Amino acid sequence: MIDQDKKYLNTIRHELVTIVEPNIYYCYQCGKCTAGCPLSDVYEYQPNEVIRLIQLDKIASILNANSVYLCASCEICSSRCPQEVDIAAVMNYLRIKSWHYKQFKLSSIANFYGIFLRIVKIFGRSFEPLLILSLNLLNKNFFNDFDIAVKILKKRKIRLMPEFIKKRNEVSKIVKKYL
Amino acid sequence: MEKLVNTKQKDDSTIDQDKRKFAYYPGCSLNSTAIDFNISVKNLFKALNIHFEEIRDWNCCGTTPAHNVSKEMPIALSARNLFLAKNMGLEEIICPCVSCYCKLSKASILINNKEIKSESEIKTRKEIFEVFQNMGYKTEEEFNFKVYSLVELLYKNKELIRQKFIENKNKNSINSETSTIESEILKDLKPVCYYGCVLLRTEGVTKFDNMENPTSMEEILDTVGIKSKHFRFKTECCGAILSLTHKNIVLKLSKEILDAALEAGANSIVVCCPLCQQNLDLRQSQINKHFKSKYNIPVYYISQILGLAMGLSYKDVMIDRLFVEPKFIKK
Repeated sequence: MIDQDKKYLNTIRHELVTIVEPNIYYCYQCGKCTAGCPLSDVYEYQPNEVIRLIQLDKIASILNANSVYLCASCEICSSRCPQEVDIAAVMNYLRIKSWHYKQFKLSSIANFYGIFLRIVKIFGRSFEPLLILSLNLLNKNFFNDFDIAVKILKKRKIRLMPEFIKKRNEVSKIVKKYL
Repeated sequence: MEKLVNTKQKDDSTIDQDKRKFAYYPGCSLNSTAIDFNISVKNLFKALNIHFEEIRDWNCCGTTPAHNVSKEMPIALSARNLFLAKNMGLEEIICPCVSCYCKLSKASILINNKEIKSESEIKTRKEIFEVFQNMGYKTEEEFNFKVYSLVELLYKNKELIRQKFIENKNKNSINSETSTIESEILKDLKPVCYYGCVLLRTEGVTKFDNMENPTSMEEILDTVGIKSKHFRFKTECCGAILSLTHKNIVLKLSKEILDAALEAGANSIVVCCPLCQQNLDLRQSQINKHFKSKYNIPVYYISQILGLAMGLSYKDVMIDRLFVEPKFIKK
């Protein structure tokens, strides 16, 4: 649980309302974002509630709920907002910050991001077999997607050997700098 | 609904056949699980006489993980691909994968000299340029990148497609009586067009179509005589990469898309995004298992259908690599 008194929460909120999305105070709770959101039925806080909680300075409650982490960045909320609040950018910013402060709540998703970027760091490109295997191991879900793995192999639609790019040290540097 | 396209704008993508050359960025998906998309796009471009060259030594754009852990990482990863294209003397880039397209376009907007930037953007740009200067890239030049998604490029070249289609039809008119697998697929096709979520919604990227009710894919298919059904789920989200961690959400969202397609009276779906295709095609068997349903809806890439219309064989566009195959392909 993230404590509301944590110092970094003030930093996050300040940056959020001054730099990332100053329009956030224009939200008048029409609910268009939530009406269009494909994930609203699994969210603990709806998109409009997330915006309201930020206005009320309750960042900790948002970071403790699943909404920010499950958001698929489809951007329907931002594109329909009559007050031009970029809700998707707000959610994205909160994900970045919770990753940065090691407070990412949904470990399965955090594992996915971590493994994927490490693979890119090594090879310069993605390599699905390694990604899926490591992800299943870390998430202790060993036979996840076994059925479709068989199908993919039958159709020869996956590389069994990774592709190394030539200057992968450049990509390594980039990933290392920002991870 | 009125189109968002500004007609006064110079239509800069009508292809001057012989001079114009594009840099081609396939991305990781098109190199493995969406190999059919890659090959069909390349063969379609050859049929349309569009010149392209793959960016040499390109890297992954970082896709969802990159933009969710850092603001700068996706821009820096895509910047490398853009600089590599510039080294090849190319500034117009085609990117069929929608996720890569969003990342590349956002990076191109930040790198281009002419675009107006906020203070924080100028700071990010300077920081990223320093990283690349240290790696020996030239960052002092004038940059004027333009990244095209496949749909945008095809849409702006509708007349070229129409012309090539008629040429091909006249050429083959002698043996039009014989029915082939290709002609059967095209004749039977009653599709809905599915754009997916981010293609038309990405902030700061040129809008070539309406984001609530786009019609560009329908219009492209119309040029080769294919009439699409009206579809109310054109830009709904399929759940994207949550398929790896929260599969049930994706199965539910994708099922709703399949349902809406059937409700529209369609027998197939035409898509332009490798991840949407994967969720609808590859995971259709999982949807059937999970919901005890019996969907059997082929999900084609737009490049595959256009390829067939241009007279390519079904193997040229890899229709036999789809997981839900059209019934005309014999085992």
